Amino acid sequence: MDIELSKEDLEFQAEVEAFLDEHLPRGAELWTKRSEWFAALKEKGWDVPNWPVEFGGPGWSATQHFIWDKVTSKHTLPPTIPFGQVMLAPILMGYASKEQQDRFLPDIRDNKVMWCQGYSEPGAGSDLASLKTKAELTDDGKHYIINGTKIWTTMGHAANWIFCLTRTQTTDIKQEGVTFLLFDMKSPGVEVKPIYTLGGSHHVNQVFFTDVKVPVENRVGEEGKGWTYAKGLLQHERKGLAGISRSVYAMEKLKEKACKVPVGDEMLMDTGFKKKIAAAEIDLLALEYTELRTLAEMVNTGSPGHSSSVLKLKGTLMQQTIQELTLEAAGIYGAPFGHKKVGVKFGRAAMEGYLNGRPATIYGGCSEVQRDVIAKRVLGV
Amino acid sequence: MDFDFTEEQTLLQDSISKFVQENYDLPTRTKAIKSKTGYSEDHWKQFAELGWLALPFSEEDGGLDGNYVDTLVVSEALGKGLIVEPYFATVILAGTALRVAGNAEQKQKLIGGIIDGTVKATVAYAELQARYELNDVATTAIKEGDGFVINGEKSVAINAETADYIIVSARTSGDRTSSKGISLFIVDAKAEGISRIDYPTIDGGRGSEVTLSNVKVAASDLLGELDEGLEVLEEVRDQAILALCAEAVGQMELMYKDTVEYCSQREQFGHPLSDFQVLKHRFADMFVETEQCTSLLYRATLEKQIGAPTARRTIHALKYKVGKEGNLLARQAVQSHGGMGVTEELRLGHYFMRLAVIDTIFGNYDYHMDKYCELMHIPEGGDGEDFGFMM
Repeated sequence: MDIELSKEDLEFQAEVEAFLDEHLPRGAELWTKRSEWFAALKEKGWDVPNWPVEFGGPGWSATQHFIWDKVTSKHTLPPTIPFGQVMLAPILMGYASKEQQDRFLPDIRDNKVMWCQGYSEPGAGSDLASLKTKAELTDDGKHYIINGTKIWTTMGHAANWIFCLTRTQTTDIKQEGVTFLLFDMKSPGVEVKPIYTLGGSHHVNQVFFTDVKVPVENRVGEEGKGWTYAKGLLQHERKGLAGISRSVYAMEKLKEKACKVPVGDEMLMDTGFKKKIAAAEIDLLALEYTELRTLAEMVNTGSPGHSSSVLKLKGTLMQQTIQELTLEAAGIYGAPFGHKKVGVKFGRAAMEGYLNGRPATIYGGCSEVQRDVIAKRVLGV
Repeated sequence: MDFDFTEEQTLLQDSISKFVQENYDLPTRTKAIKSKTGYSEDHWKQFAELGWLALPFSEEDGGLDGNYVDTLVVSEALGKGLIVEPYFATVILAGTALRVAGNAEQKQKLIGGIIDGTVKATVAYAELQARYELNDVATTAIKEGDGFVINGEKSVAINAETADYIIVSARTSGDRTSSKGISLFIVDAKAEGISRIDYPTIDGGRGSEVTLSNVKVAASDLLGELDEGLEVLEEVRDQAILALCAEAVGQMELMYKDTVEYCSQREQFGHPLSDFQVLKHRFADMFVETEQCTSLLYRATLEKQIGAPTARRTIHALKYKVGKEGNLLARQAVQSHGGMGVTEELRLGHYFMRLAVIDTIFGNYDYHMDKYCELMHIPEGGDGEDFGFMM
């Protein structure tokens, strides 16, 4: 048992740090110089870190991915929309035809086409396989006609294309008869309605399909096998949602805040609040090692196994705990929600974090589903 | 980076669990507990023959040069077996004090005997008014001639009843609670002036209230530097917490496994209890917290192993977490077992009692929360600005 990184891994860590020093835009330049950043990443061969080598990825080991996350977690990176590069691309690589790969992957890699994900439906949330959006093949066999609705479609209002789970057949086994389709959001019959979440943000939407015509060549893989394609990614997705390195950074920031909030003649950090921070930090110390143990497992076996459920469950809870404590730290200044920074200046951001953080334990398989998975797959009940 | 045990460690683990399986069912254990000494002298001899008592000592002292991970392996495996022999008192408490502070002569006098099973020892560090504070020492050692005279009362000294030597903390200078001025002495358990009240502890062990009245020790019995005993005691506590938590984590693992198994067989309302989601989710939480405690145990052990400056802080974190989550898990396990959980028939109940006792040794979870807070990293400067919310 040891925790030392190998010489090669330490060199890689230094390389990542040097790269960030040289190329990462800071402050206001995060927006204005973001294309330079993406160009530098591409030049370095690091623009699609999770892609296999044969598709242009850097071929990082699990440890190198971990190092990248760890180092970048201490910085703010220009935002990216994960749906194309992270969610869809691996499915295309695994199951799409060569023609489809050539058609879609280059634009995904260069962020030229923005994708959204059409999975959840009003009647199919945690029980995703109950989805009902219907895709019917036309008599000439050249098109599918889509009718139905998708919900919680993140950035659906800005997306150019959607990857969508549809039902082509209804059998006793609901995981069968699901077909994976790609189509243009500008297709006639697609309608996007915004959903405003707590605090008035607009990230998610409900999308309606009325007789949307999709060419049959936009189907990924075989008809009726779409569930299998979508499912394979879930385990990796879960692990990614834990955001543990990010929480380590956020914890440090929480402590900085608590050191500056006055409570009478002392600071919040010198009150009983400190114990609440300590309790969360201790859980995080453990969680970091749970992640390392999973990583070691991946290096040995190639799969995170069911630890990904543990990480998703505890990791998202940790994010929320830090958000809750940050809001608590803001005290009476958790309430002001205008754009003028008044009093405890992080008050608004704390409230936004608290509100926007709620979905973490709902999406990607909610916490209750993760507990079901652990009980079934790990404990055998 | 890897979290696997070495081949030797796996063999060691196997040999202890084989011993437990063959020699240590609950009736045998109960018989040992009820015997005069509270454990089996035969078992103790076997521990010595199998080399388990030699592990943490240096080769120079006749030991096997084991590291902190080796001790984790032994403690976890012995804990799973609910071993009542005085391994913790002799090898972990007294052994660590001797390794850390003993001079060549003292090591020669005691360590060889500990390794071959002929010497048993313990450390009497606790006092009634001190609760968990190691620096609160009212017992005094006054210099007299070439030696010292010790007076005072020591609390809940583990296995003092059968110890040949009791290592005692006593104040040689300073106020009752000052950090400097504590010294350790190796006291012959049969020395004149020592009296004990012996009793069983609820986990199957033995403890003693030890009164020292005008006990004379020689200058050569001073263990470590005069007045600098606190540092030694803190080292003993670090090692003791790592060993206790390794034991606790092993017990947590068996408790959640026993619970899942029991609830899969027990039927009520026409279903196995494990069909009920409220219980499945409880099992999942028990598993997750066992994983988390295992992770923190590894972290604390490895940090101690490499001498990381954060090691002691992480050890406080570990004792806090194991005390809190371990006992919560134990209560959930008993609850899930229904009436059977509160009988002495299942090993579960004995783990339950042991975990409750582990929380009392060297500070409960609340105490270690305070200690963690004292050592917590506080950022200096920094404006607390971050990137808003996390998606």
